[in-house]
Amino acid sequence: MERRKFLSLTLGALALAVAPASVRAEDYRKLKPTVWSAHTVNDAIKNMYGTTTTIEEGVKLSAPKVASNGGAVPVTFSTKIPAKTIAVFQDANPEAAVCVYSIGKHDVTEYSIKIKMGKSGTITVVVEGLDGKLYSAKQTLDVALGGCEG
Amino acid sequence: MGMKVKAKLKNGVINVKAMAKHAMTTYNQAEKKTGDRENANFITHISATLKSSGDTVFDMSTSQFLSKNPIFKFKFKGAEKGDYVLMTWTDRKGKTGKGKGKIK
Repeated sequence: MERRKFLSLTLGALALAVAPASVRAEDYRKLKPTVWSAHTVNDAIKNMYGTTTTIEEGVKLSAPKVASNGGAVPVTFSTKIPAKTIAVFQDANPEAAVCVYSIGKHDVTEYSIKIKMGKSGTITVVVEGLDGKLYSAKQTLDVALGGCEG
Repeated sequence: MGMKVKAKLKNGVINVKAMAKHAMTTYNQAEKKTGDRENANFITHISATLKSSGDTVFDMSTSQFLSKNPIFKFKFKGAEKGDYVLMTWTDRKGKTGKGKGKIK
Protein backbone atom coordinates (compact mmCIF):
# COMPACT_ATOMS: atom_id res chain seq x y z
CA MET A 1 0.00 0.00 0.00
CA GLU A 2 1.24 3.50 -0.77
CA ARG A 3 2.64 5.22 2.33
CA ARG A 4 0.36 8.25 1.93
CA LYS A 5 -2.75 6.12 1.68
CA PHE A 6 -1.68 4.07 4.72
CA LEU A 7 -1.15 7.25 6.78
CA SER A 8 -4.53 8.72 5.90
CA LEU A 9 -6.23 5.45 6.79
CA THR A 10 -4.49 5.41 10.19
CA LEU A 11 -5.47 9.01 10.87
CA GLY A 12 -9.06 8.18 9.94
CA ALA A 13 -9.06 5.34 12.45
CA LEU A 14 -7.61 7.63 15.13
CA ALA A 15 -10.30 10.23 14.50
CA LEU A 16 -12.96 7.61 15.16
CA ALA A 17 -11.25 6.43 18.32
CA VAL A 18 -11.24 9.87 19.90
CA ALA A 19 -14.82 10.80 18.98
CA PRO A 20 -16.20 13.24 21.57
CA ALA A 21 -18.10 11.75 24.48
CA SER A 22 -21.32 13.40 23.34
CA VAL A 23 -21.26 11.33 20.15
CA ARG A 24 -21.13 8.12 22.20
CA ALA A 25 -24.21 9.01 24.26
CA GLU A 26 -27.19 6.99 23.07
CA ASP A 27 -30.61 8.27 22.10
CA TYR A 28 -32.69 5.21 22.95
CA ARG A 29 -35.80 6.75 21.44
CA LYS A 30 -34.16 6.40 18.04
CA LEU A 31 -32.11 3.30 18.79
CA LYS A 32 -34.93 1.20 20.27
CA PRO A 33 -38.33 2.59 19.22
CA THR A 34 -40.30 -0.52 20.27
CA VAL A 35 -39.35 0.10 23.92
CA TRP A 36 -41.51 3.23 23.92
CA SER A 37 -44.56 1.75 22.22
CA ALA A 38 -44.71 -1.38 24.40
CA HIS A 39 -47.84 -1.50 26.54
CA THR A 40 -46.66 -3.84 29.28
CA VAL A 41 -43.61 -3.59 31.51
CA ASN A 42 -42.41 -7.05 30.46
CA ASP A 43 -42.64 -6.18 26.76
CA ALA A 44 -40.81 -2.91 27.29
CA ILE A 45 -38.02 -4.63 29.27
CA LYS A 46 -37.79 -7.38 26.62
CA ASN A 47 -37.57 -4.82 23.81
CA MET A 48 -34.88 -2.90 25.66
CA TYR A 49 -32.74 -5.73 26.96
CA GLY A 50 -33.74 -8.88 25.09
CA THR A 51 -34.84 -10.61 28.30
CA THR A 52 -37.04 -10.03 31.32
CA THR A 53 -34.75 -11.90 33.73
CA THR A 54 -33.44 -9.58 36.42
CA ILE A 55 -31.72 -10.00 39.79
CA GLU A 56 -33.87 -8.19 42.34
CA GLU A 57 -30.91 -6.76 44.26
CA GLY A 58 -28.52 -3.88 44.20
CA VAL A 59 -31.02 -1.19 43.23
CA LYS A 60 -32.57 1.29 45.67
CA LEU A 61 -35.94 2.74 44.72
CA SER A 62 -38.14 5.09 46.66
CA ALA A 63 -41.49 6.64 45.85
CA PRO A 64 -44.33 7.65 48.17
CA LYS A 65 -46.63 4.79 49.24
CA VAL A 66 -49.55 7.08 48.47
CA ALA A 67 -49.03 9.72 45.77
CA SER A 68 -51.37 12.67 46.22
CA ASN A 69 -50.89 13.92 42.67
CA GLY A 70 -50.70 11.38 39.84
CA GLY A 71 -49.34 14.10 37.57
CA ALA A 72 -46.12 14.42 39.52
CA VAL A 73 -45.06 11.33 41.46
CA PRO A 74 -41.53 11.79 42.88
CA VAL A 75 -39.25 8.80 42.22
CA THR A 76 -35.67 8.43 43.42
CA PHE A 77 -33.40 5.51 42.60
CA SER A 78 -29.74 4.60 42.84
CA THR A 79 -27.29 1.78 42.49
CA LYS A 80 -23.64 1.07 43.27
CA ILE A 81 -23.44 -1.49 40.49
CA PRO A 82 -21.31 -0.18 37.59
CA ALA A 83 -23.95 0.39 34.94
CA LYS A 84 -24.38 0.92 31.23
CA THR A 85 -28.04 1.98 31.29
CA ILE A 86 -30.81 2.45 33.83
CA ALA A 87 -34.45 2.25 32.72
CA VAL A 88 -37.67 3.18 34.51
CA PHE A 89 -41.00 1.48 33.76
CA GLN A 90 -44.52 1.51 35.23
CA ASP A 91 -47.78 -0.28 34.64
CA ALA A 92 -50.11 2.66 35.32
CA ASN A 93 -50.09 4.29 31.88
CA PRO A 94 -50.95 3.20 28.31
CA GLU A 95 -47.27 2.55 27.58
CA ALA A 96 -44.77 1.20 30.09
CA ALA A 97 -41.42 2.95 29.43
CA VAL A 98 -40.77 6.21 31.26
CA CYS A 99 -37.11 6.90 30.55
CA VAL A 100 -33.68 5.39 29.90
CA TYR A 101 -30.42 6.79 31.21
CA SER A 102 -27.24 6.21 29.25
CA ILE A 103 -24.50 6.03 31.92
CA GLY A 104 -21.16 7.72 31.30
CA LYS A 105 -17.84 7.68 33.12
CA HIS A 106 -18.67 10.78 35.22
CA ASP A 107 -22.12 9.63 36.36
CA VAL A 108 -22.81 8.95 40.02
CA THR A 109 -25.80 6.66 39.59
CA GLU A 110 -28.43 8.34 41.74
CA TYR A 111 -31.34 10.11 40.06
CA SER A 112 -34.68 11.75 40.86
CA ILE A 113 -37.55 12.48 38.54
CA LYS A 114 -41.27 13.18 38.72
CA ILE A 115 -43.53 10.99 36.65
CA LYS A 116 -47.17 10.72 35.63
CA MET A 117 -49.17 7.72 36.75
CA GLY A 118 -52.72 7.37 35.48
CA LYS A 119 -53.73 5.09 38.34
CA SER A 120 -52.23 3.12 41.20
CA GLY A 121 -49.55 0.71 40.10
CA THR A 122 -45.97 -0.51 40.22
CA ILE A 123 -42.79 1.28 39.25
CA THR A 124 -39.88 -0.91 38.11
CA VAL A 125 -36.30 0.29 37.75
CA VAL A 126 -33.86 -1.90 35.78
CA VAL A 127 -30.10 -1.44 35.92
CA GLU A 128 -28.08 -2.90 33.05
CA GLY A 129 -24.77 -3.76 34.67
CA LEU A 130 -21.45 -3.55 32.88
CA ASP A 131 -21.22 -7.23 33.84
CA GLY A 132 -23.98 -7.91 31.31
CA LYS A 133 -26.58 -8.76 33.98
CA LEU A 134 -29.83 -6.96 34.77
CA TYR A 135 -30.71 -5.83 38.30
CA SER A 136 -34.05 -4.41 39.38
CA ALA A 137 -36.24 -3.00 42.11
CA LYS A 138 -39.99 -2.43 42.23
CA GLN A 139 -42.39 -0.39 44.25
CA THR A 140 -46.17 -0.47 44.24
CA LEU A 141 -48.03 2.68 45.17
CA ASP A 142 -51.51 4.13 45.43
CA VAL A 143 -52.23 7.18 43.33
CA ALA A 144 -54.91 9.55 44.60
CA LEU A 145 -55.59 11.45 41.37
CA GLY A 146 -54.86 9.95 37.93
CA GLY A 147 -52.02 11.84 36.24
CA CYS A 148 -52.26 10.79 32.63
CA GLU A 149 -55.27 12.86 31.74
CA GLY A 150 -54.38 15.78 34.04
CA MET B 1 -34.26 29.67 27.40
CA GLY B 2 -35.98 26.42 28.15
CA MET B 3 -34.09 25.23 31.23
CA LYS B 4 -32.96 26.22 34.69
CA VAL B 5 -29.87 24.47 35.99
CA LYS B 6 -28.43 24.55 39.52
CA ALA B 7 -25.15 22.76 40.25
CA LYS B 8 -23.44 22.39 43.65
CA LEU B 9 -20.10 20.75 44.39
CA LYS B 10 -19.95 18.89 47.69
CA ASN B 11 -17.35 16.31 48.73
CA GLY B 12 -16.19 15.82 45.17
CA VAL B 13 -19.71 15.22 43.84
CA ILE B 14 -21.61 17.75 41.78
CA ASN B 15 -25.34 17.70 42.57
CA VAL B 16 -27.52 19.07 39.78
CA LYS B 17 -31.16 20.07 39.90
CA ALA B 18 -32.55 21.08 36.52
CA MET B 19 -36.01 22.08 35.41
CA ALA B 20 -37.20 22.20 31.80
CA LYS B 21 -40.10 24.39 30.74
CA HIS B 22 -42.28 22.04 28.71
CA ALA B 23 -45.97 21.11 28.65
CA MET B 24 -45.11 17.40 28.14
CA THR B 25 -48.47 16.78 26.45
CA THR B 26 -49.29 13.08 26.18
CA TYR B 27 -51.05 11.47 23.22
CA ASN B 28 -54.20 11.06 25.34
CA GLN B 29 -54.08 14.67 26.51
CA ALA B 30 -53.63 15.89 22.90
CA GLU B 31 -56.59 13.80 21.78
CA LYS B 32 -58.79 15.13 24.59
CA LYS B 33 -57.83 18.78 24.13
CA THR B 34 -57.51 19.03 20.33
CA GLY B 35 -58.95 15.84 18.89
CA ASP B 36 -55.60 15.03 17.26
CA ARG B 37 -53.07 12.67 18.84
CA GLU B 38 -50.35 14.15 16.64
CA ASN B 39 -50.45 17.33 18.70
CA ALA B 40 -48.74 15.37 21.49
CA ASN B 41 -45.40 16.91 22.27
CA PHE B 42 -42.95 16.04 24.98
CA ILE B 43 -39.20 16.00 25.59
CA THR B 44 -37.66 12.87 24.08
CA HIS B 45 -34.00 13.42 24.91
CA ILE B 46 -32.05 15.51 27.40
CA SER B 47 -28.35 15.68 28.14
CA ALA B 48 -25.72 17.67 30.00
CA THR B 49 -22.09 18.37 29.16
CA LEU B 50 -19.25 20.15 30.91
CA LYS B 51 -18.17 23.44 29.37
CA SER B 52 -14.51 22.73 30.16
CA SER B 53 -14.12 19.38 28.45
CA GLY B 54 -17.30 18.80 26.47
CA ASP B 55 -17.70 15.51 28.37
CA THR B 56 -21.25 14.23 28.75
CA VAL B 57 -22.28 13.99 32.41
CA PHE B 58 -25.97 13.16 31.93
CA ASP B 59 -27.89 11.52 29.10
CA MET B 60 -31.52 10.51 29.20
CA SER B 61 -34.08 9.34 26.63
CA THR B 62 -37.54 10.23 27.84
CA SER B 63 -41.28 9.74 27.28
CA GLN B 64 -44.63 11.48 27.64
CA PHE B 65 -44.76 10.15 31.21
CA LEU B 66 -42.46 12.68 32.82
CA SER B 67 -44.37 15.43 34.58
CA LYS B 68 -45.15 18.80 33.05
CA ASN B 69 -42.18 21.18 33.47
CA PRO B 70 -40.07 18.15 34.34
CA ILE B 71 -37.43 18.17 37.05
CA PHE B 72 -34.20 16.21 36.69
CA LYS B 73 -31.87 15.54 39.61
CA PHE B 74 -28.55 13.87 38.94
CA LYS B 75 -24.99 13.65 40.25
CA PHE B 76 -21.56 13.33 38.72
CA LYS B 77 -17.85 13.55 39.55
CA GLY B 78 -14.87 15.11 37.90
CA ALA B 79 -15.50 18.83 37.63
CA GLU B 80 -14.42 21.93 39.53
CA LYS B 81 -16.22 24.97 40.87
CA GLY B 82 -16.52 27.62 38.21
CA ASP B 83 -17.08 25.12 35.41
CA TYR B 84 -20.50 25.06 33.75
CA VAL B 85 -23.07 22.33 33.25
CA LEU B 86 -24.61 22.88 29.81
CA MET B 87 -27.96 21.21 29.20
CA THR B 88 -30.04 20.67 26.07
CA TRP B 89 -33.39 18.98 25.56
CA THR B 90 -35.04 17.96 22.30
CA ASP B 91 -38.75 17.28 21.94
CA ARG B 92 -40.85 15.12 19.70
CA LYS B 93 -41.36 17.94 17.21
CA GLY B 94 -37.62 18.60 17.02
CA LYS B 95 -37.61 21.79 19.08
CA THR B 96 -34.73 22.27 21.52
CA GLY B 97 -34.29 24.08 24.81
CA LYS B 98 -31.08 24.99 26.56
CA GLY B 99 -29.84 26.05 29.94
CA LYS B 100 -26.65 26.26 31.91
CA GLY B 101 -25.60 26.31 35.53
CA LYS B 102 -22.30 27.34 37.08
CA ILE B 103 -20.89 24.79 39.48
CA LYS B 104 -20.85 26.49 42.90
